[in-house]
Amino acid sequence: MATTNVPPQLDKLPPELKEKIQELRKLYAEGSEVGQRALDKLLGQLAAPRTDKPVAEITTAGRTGLRQGKVSELTVIAPFAPGGAKRLRALLKLLGANFGDAGEKVGTVHDMRFVFFDNDTRMLFATAYDGDWDPYIDDFVAKIPAELDLVFSTTENFPGLNTPGIKDWIAKFQITAEAWYVANPDLTVAETKRLERVGKALDEFLDKIG
Amino acid sequence: MSTLDERGDERGSTSSPVLELDEIQATVLRYRPEPYYGTHVLMRVDDAQTGREFLRRLTPHINSAAGWWNAVDAWLAVGISYAGLKALGLPEESLQSFPEAFRAGMAARAEQLRDVGVNASSNWDFPFGTGQVHIGVTAFSDTAAKWRRTVAVAREQAIGFSGVTIIHMQDFGAQPGSLNPFGYKDGIGQPAIAGSGVAPLPGQGQPIKAGEFILGYPGEADLPYPTPQPDVLGRNGTYVGFRKYQSRVGTFNRFLQENASTHEERELLAAKLVGRWRSGAPLTLAPHADDPSLGEDPQRNNDFNYSTDAQGRQVPFGCHMRRMNPRDSQLAQLTDVNLHRIIRRSTTYGAPYDPNALSEEDDEVPRGVFFLFISAKAMATLEFLQGEWINDGNFAGVGDERDPMVGLQPDGATFSIPQAPVRRRIHGIETFNVLRGGEYLFMPSLSALRWIAELS
Repeated sequence: MATTNVPPQLDKLPPELKEKIQELRKLYAEGSEVGQRALDKLLGQLAAPRTDKPVAEITTAGRTGLRQGKVSELTVIAPFAPGGAKRLRALLKLLGANFGDAGEKVGTVHDMRFVFFDNDTRMLFATAYDGDWDPYIDDFVAKIPAELDLVFSTTENFPGLNTPGIKDWIAKFQITAEAWYVANPDLTVAETKRLERVGKALDEFLDKIG
Repeated sequence: MSTLDERGDERGSTSSPVLELDEIQATVLRYRPEPYYGTHVLMRVDDAQTGREFLRRLTPHINSAAGWWNAVDAWLAVGISYAGLKALGLPEESLQSFPEAFRAGMAARAEQLRDVGVNASSNWDFPFGTGQVHIGVTAFSDTAAKWRRTVAVAREQAIGFSGVTIIHMQDFGAQPGSLNPFGYKDGIGQPAIAGSGVAPLPGQGQPIKAGEFILGYPGEADLPYPTPQPDVLGRNGTYVGFRKYQSRVGTFNRFLQENASTHEERELLAAKLVGRWRSGAPLTLAPHADDPSLGEDPQRNNDFNYSTDAQGRQVPFGCHMRRMNPRDSQLAQLTDVNLHRIIRRSTTYGAPYDPNALSEEDDEVPRGVFFLFISAKAMATLEFLQGEWINDGNFAGVGDERDPMVGLQPDGATFSIPQAPVRRRIHGIETFNVLRGGEYLFMPSLSALRWIAELS
């Protein structure tokens, strides 16, 4: 049921925000009542001006993906080769929670996840990492080609990492996130580890003098 | 010709191809002499036909790399920008076969190169970034007399060509002790190139595959990089990133004065910024005091790695030398160091280093360095170096810190010196070398030069 009358609290809003909220109400009016009621409840909050600390600006990470501060997101959705899901599942089981030491090796990866869907015919790979991957793809090709081939050969028609134009092949399956939140956009993996060490050393020091 | 890569190849390639040295321009392989004298001449081509005629006359004077380790005379090198290739009338198909960054030009790649703020192309000197730099000719020599003779040859070829205009000339070298504008010996630590015909110097490391530096040969991943077409145009050629820096000697000296109280401390701080004492002696081999005889000995001055300096207490992680070649350092990010090496021919111009210069006026005394960065993927490598190794510190575990010598320092920038019991962090380091111009040039093979000259 559409609520077309404008609530009084919206009147004082800057026109741009007002327009966005009205658009949102229109769209939710086409949805379920649950959504509409929730929106009405939160309207005041959504319309309130942001007073919290400025978040790092969202930019693009190389040619695809978003970047916030020093952290970037990468999402790949690719079809499996026949039997590919089975192979990758077995490989991931063998490697365990750390994916072998893949993250440790690369050094800039905050997290990685593999999701199999559509009855094991497609996979989603998502990761948050530091900086851009474009400048480092040649390093990956040179340093861990077998590791990457082992994983990505389970996808359909994967030509092999050591193929001219492989960057374009990967980029083809990359999808930019619609929205993305990073708690610590200025902390790289390396910086986090350094702070961990510094924190420990400081605690030891305080223990000694305390 | 033979390859001296006698240790064989650990990366599993079957053989290192022997380079066609008589096709490759000498400057690609030949080290800058010492002492050195030279001139950069920048030209604009106003008419395609006269431009090609100029190249036809110049080409016999361009030296090949055959016997490059044995320079008896001065030598000339020539590079052509994308605008220059267009002005010379290259076929559209050939023009389109050049990499995107080369076609765009250095000024247009400011974002990728982090050439912003004081380094932005809006602050560059004429004629850089105007699209008018078409051909660059550089003369190198080890004596003043030979240099003058060679420059005269280059000029004679350009005289009488109304379609080719010399728009800029800059002499370089002739510095006391061949020192750079901050008083350091430079040019140490070049990559060794497989198949180039000379045994690497101690410490140069495993020779890097020629395809990283010269088009048409396999690179480190056993594949050649994309080569401009037709083959005769691209093969044995390479790219040059040409960058002009103004050295702010007053600011540099003030930094040393403000952060060190005695002459000895200032020299140690100067060494910590670079990783080498001014003599060229590396801190790894001479951690406490300069050793000039070590500095000048090419058999010893680069013969080290960082296995005994994992904490960076001798050579700071963030200093210039360790950034530009991390060797065996443990890096925070998976990196193949060999992929990011580049051949450097640095040429110092202007007034020599003045240890007493302290004022802001001293910063603007014409004095600095023209760098020639040579690689088969010079554009990608420069963008990588500028973005990852120079204007960031994450890879080396030093957070936001930047290269103290060639980095673009933001307000409040710091430089950390690891030492026991606690590291020293210096606040307020400023930009010491300011970018005042840059161009991407293609350095064709001798056959390619003739091919261009004979286009109609």
